[in-house]
Amino acid sequence: MRIQVWGILVVAVVLPGDAFAQTNAPDGWLNPDWNKPAITNANRKPAPRRSLVGMWGPAEGPGAGTQASGVQLKPNNGRPENELPYTPYGLQLYRSHHALEGKDAVLPAQDNDPRNRCEPLGVPRYNHYNIRLTQFFQDEYKVDILYHYDNRWRVIWTDGRRLPKLVDGGVEIGGELREPRFFGYSVGRWVDDYTFEVQTIGVMPDDRVWLDSTGRPISEQARITETFRRVDYDTLVWSETIDDPKVYTRPWEAMRMTFRLHDPRTDVQEYYCSPFEQENYNKLFGTDAGSKGAP
Amino acid sequence: MRARHVIVSIAAVALLGQAPLIAHHGAAAYEVGKKVVLKGTVKQWIYSNPHCLLTLEVTGEDGQVVQWIVEGQAPNVVFPAGYRKDTFTFGDKVTVTVEPVKNGRPLGRFLAAVTADGQTLGPANSGATNPNAASQP
Repeated sequence: MRIQVWGILVVAVVLPGDAFAQTNAPDGWLNPDWNKPAITNANRKPAPRRSLVGMWGPAEGPGAGTQASGVQLKPNNGRPENELPYTPYGLQLYRSHHALEGKDAVLPAQDNDPRNRCEPLGVPRYNHYNIRLTQFFQDEYKVDILYHYDNRWRVIWTDGRRLPKLVDGGVEIGGELREPRFFGYSVGRWVDDYTFEVQTIGVMPDDRVWLDSTGRPISEQARITETFRRVDYDTLVWSETIDDPKVYTRPWEAMRMTFRLHDPRTDVQEYYCSPFEQENYNKLFGTDAGSKGAP
Repeated sequence: MRARHVIVSIAAVALLGQAPLIAHHGAAAYEVGKKVVLKGTVKQWIYSNPHCLLTLEVTGEDGQVVQWIVEGQAPNVVFPAGYRKDTFTFGDKVTVTVEPVKNGRPLGRFLAAVTADGQTLGPANSGATNPNAASQP
């Protein structure tokens, strides 16, 4: 099998030796560099053709990917321009979610966020939960995205297969019903040499996943369209539009975030949900911090 | 014992420029805009997900000792701010500035810390931003 690209190795080879020069690498263990110089005409390099390979982080710094207040383009802050076009069912669903963030936030003891039970967040919530150093690999058949949080990865097929048909209870493939998945079923294509478009359907039902940390909903009828535009060598713009007629009356754009290329040798610290550590945290701090009672 | 007995100093401050970046359980539990400065002795430092926790014994003006617990973000988030697994060790004398919880319990989140060896650290959150970031293309 002819493998065209397997990310880190290739990136490491094609980069000039000083391209990722860093001083913050004790014993060779590179720490993330969140203070990269701005891309200007003087240092801009052309984007490689049809490649997303590399380690990418939010250009504005690690905090920019947190999205604690809700999806990037529509923070849940009560401003009219950020209100989402809920269907009656979508609004009912939102009101049944008791989130720890956003304008309707509750205290920790009262929340029902599936994240706090260490449930997989699913797509698209992985795009909206502490998205930090995110690694892309690709070969001639697929693009893989490795999310930092919980060491999760997803596959986007690029080998020409068609997106399955969305049906009640999941998707249809070859005349058979297939189960919904936390990461759905994703197919991608290159719109041009620098723009990659991904469609995802077949995600988990609305009683299993949320869209964001403020309790916005997403349902199994969602179709998520993502666009990855390689602006130049060091810059990627990741956009996401949600079309979910069960929950929202019209499609809307949730994210258009700029990412910067990081040194592929960067050591990425673990960031995960452990039920044991979660329980310990709640026992020591979370439950008391979120209680209403007097001390 | 009420938390106020152990407050060394307290002041309402405007946390200018501090975005709501505490991700795990939101800001609803905190008295946002207040800070409490604690001088105490480290009992335990847990460098773990989902949040780092510092347990501190603080002696109040009345001589009574209160145990405070201070939280920061997860290790990968606080690392760029300089917090490490051995930043605090048992018996260290430290000064920690916290934003307290609303319900009056001796709990809060890091705004700043001065370690036993005099190192000053900022908020243990993900507030770091790249000052060089270009605008969205």
